[in-house]
Amino acid sequence: MSTEALRPSSYLGEGAGPAAWLLTTDHKRVAWLYLVSLTAFFFLGGAFAVLMRVELATPAGDLVSDDTYNRLFSLHGIIMVWFFLVPSIPATLGNFLLPLMIGARDLAFPRLNLASWYVFILGSAFALASVLAGGVDTGWTFYTPLSTLYANGFVSMAALGVFIVGFSTIMTGINFIVTIHTLRAPGLTWFRLPIFVWTMYATALVMVLATPVLAASLILIVLERLFGIGIFNPALGGDPLLFQHLFWFYSHPAVYIMILPGMGVVSEVLPCFSRRPLFGYKAVALSSMAIAVFGFLVWGHHMFVSGQSAYAGVLFSFLSFCVAIPSAIKVFNWSLTLRKGEITFETPMLYALFFLALFTFGGLAGLFLAALAIDVHVHDTYFVVAHFHYIMVGGMVTAYMAGLHFWWPKLTGRMYSETWGRIAATVTFLGFNLTFFPQFVLGFLGMPRRYHTYPPEFQFWHILSSAGAVVLAVGYLMPLLYLGWSLFRGARAPANPWRATGLEWQTASPPPPHNFETMPVVTRPAYAYDMKGLKHERFSPHREEAAQ
Amino acid sequence: MSGTESVAFDTPQRERRGDNFAMWVFIASEAMLFGAIFLVFLVAHIDFGRAFAGASKHLSLPLGTFNTVLLITSSFTMALAHMLALQRRWRATVWALLATSALGVCFLVVKGIEYGKEIQEGLAPLLGLPFRYSGPDPVHAEFFFGLYFAMTSLHALHLIGGIVVITGMIALWRTANPASRLGRVVAVGLYWHFVDIIWVFMFPVLYLINR
Amino acid sequence: MSELRKLTFGYLGLLALLALTVGSSLLDLAGFNVTLNLAIAAAKAILISLLFMHLTGTLPRLAVAATGLWLVILFGLTLIGR
Repeated sequence: MSTEALRPSSYLGEGAGPAAWLLTTDHKRVAWLYLVSLTAFFFLGGAFAVLMRVELATPAGDLVSDDTYNRLFSLHGIIMVWFFLVPSIPATLGNFLLPLMIGARDLAFPRLNLASWYVFILGSAFALASVLAGGVDTGWTFYTPLSTLYANGFVSMAALGVFIVGFSTIMTGINFIVTIHTLRAPGLTWFRLPIFVWTMYATALVMVLATPVLAASLILIVLERLFGIGIFNPALGGDPLLFQHLFWFYSHPAVYIMILPGMGVVSEVLPCFSRRPLFGYKAVALSSMAIAVFGFLVWGHHMFVSGQSAYAGVLFSFLSFCVAIPSAIKVFNWSLTLRKGEITFETPMLYALFFLALFTFGGLAGLFLAALAIDVHVHDTYFVVAHFHYIMVGGMVTAYMAGLHFWWPKLTGRMYSETWGRIAATVTFLGFNLTFFPQFVLGFLGMPRRYHTYPPEFQFWHILSSAGAVVLAVGYLMPLLYLGWSLFRGARAPANPWRATGLEWQTASPPPPHNFETMPVVTRPAYAYDMKGLKHERFSPHREEAAQ
Repeated sequence: MSGTESVAFDTPQRERRGDNFAMWVFIASEAMLFGAIFLVFLVAHIDFGRAFAGASKHLSLPLGTFNTVLLITSSFTMALAHMLALQRRWRATVWALLATSALGVCFLVVKGIEYGKEIQEGLAPLLGLPFRYSGPDPVHAEFFFGLYFAMTSLHALHLIGGIVVITGMIALWRTANPASRLGRVVAVGLYWHFVDIIWVFMFPVLYLINR
Repeated sequence: MSELRKLTFGYLGLLALLALTVGSSLLDLAGFNVTLNLAIAAAKAILISLLFMHLTGTLPRLAVAATGLWLVILFGLTLIGR
């Protein structure tokens, strides 16, 4: 009880009614608004995926019709990409941590930040309306001329939803870029920034420069559907391939929107739980920027079989191999950070190590796809599906879980159950591999994506994958329960339970309304785990409590 | 407490620097949007240059030129508003802002007259209106007019947005302190000039090329 | 006063460039019309951004430079792919 009285006022104590949350401009509360809405979308998109996997347990199309199946995978993709993955880490952890990590009171534009959430909700209202009205069957890519001439779903409504959510993404991007440039604490030079901040900067850059091109292509689709302007219709002079150019100019860099923040999280977690400074800090920081820039040069590898010129194919293949270099730089540096470290396996560390394995595996599969000849063989098969799920789910969602556990004490002021955390992480890892590894095999054997029936000889692999999906679903539902439970019953968290070095750990858990009682001044590089007094420190919430 | 609109900044000077940079990043984002649209036009122009040149002759060059003059003038009055706000001559600033938005409205009226003329001539292939075109290659001429309406109406929407913001700013003028007045004039000014720059490219691309 | 003079020069310069671009379009310059029109448009954009928009300072220039680079990427790689 006495600790209760000593605890400084936290952002969670500043009013509890709906108005105090829905009209807040505190970045930490806006992060919670996003966290709750994104969690809902994650489980909605996940439900679509589970339905698909259940249908695919047998070769015949016995659970859903072909048309329903088309709508299931389209909505799964649209919701997971734009309503979960793109905003996932930036809008939740990024929103919460960015000002804390750079020693600022808030993001540069707090009202813009809140507005971005309302725009997100408006866009998601359109997306949900199109789901309720009957859905979309174009796939998440809205390829023309299917989406403009033939699709009979609610394409315009869904496209409008994605278009509106794009504005929310751009608002977040502008806010992050300006915040990082103008609000760093005294002494916090660029090369003292935590890697998480670097990756947020790279992500924001992609958000600001790529999203408008998606907006343009969606406007043109809607104009074509509603006004009959034949922009992508060859009969009227349009060019359907042009849509793919515009779409992938956004969507390939958007893949990096979806993975860079995950790289940032892992770069925080790995040094902390191996008690070592991040190996090759500058290389990791600059490779984030390199990924953001190179990511814009490779979109043609989605169009190897779409009729672009052979020379363009060779060029895009070469550039796609190049973008693997900065990713590999990161992987090697993370691995060398672990070397000779005093590694412990707390939940965030488990997730981060799983990220390292799954991202490396999925990334290597990406090199197969960048090779022209192999891509022709496995194009539009489950090989591609497995590859990007290894990056998006095995990479990004795993990193998201690592970050959520790592900063959960900071977000809530509570500790979660370490035992349940480790169990859930392990179940997720096993379930994930069981779901998606068989899909590499299926794809290589020739199973095309987006079909609800298949020849019986593929059933063995499909059953493995479907069984894995159930395990994976359990792995993702468990944190919902024990994290939710910890909100009310978890042990009180100390300011710095992991003995981590970031500025965010130097303020109370949960932080006060304007983040710091006294504004911090930075005098040392990030990840100074080799400093005296931190080197052999261990995680121990109980000791902290005893000290109080 | 320190006269900033956002709690994050400690001084108004730093906040103004942040606001200014934010507007430029926003403009960068908008430039990518229009860039993609211009790219669509360029690709079509490469494929059907002759048909596009023929169709372009059916647009009204006098009205287009007049509109360009209007928009350039509005940018000038907006720049004056910025200068006057820096000198803290607030009444004159409001007049310059009013002139800017009035010129914007004039632009929209002229654009409306132009649209009306084109619809009457049967050059608007929209909403099931009949398309009548006597020149060669009517299919691709129709494509040109489709792009023309898409591009100019997207630009007009941006202009309308600017007019709405200026009007709102004047409506809230009395409640704003000098620092935030100046900040708002600078921000909306940057946006307005950017919309002008878009037109500066759209005008030759649509009206002049291969005339 | 010099600020007012600067803006007025900018305004008159823009009108002169407009006259030039419209005038040139009435002449047949054997293929150079497009180049000239776009060059004049670029000149106008530079005038507006320097005189009216006060494009100074590192950060705004960084944003403009990034936009330029990314537009080159968008146009260049799309046209190569055709």
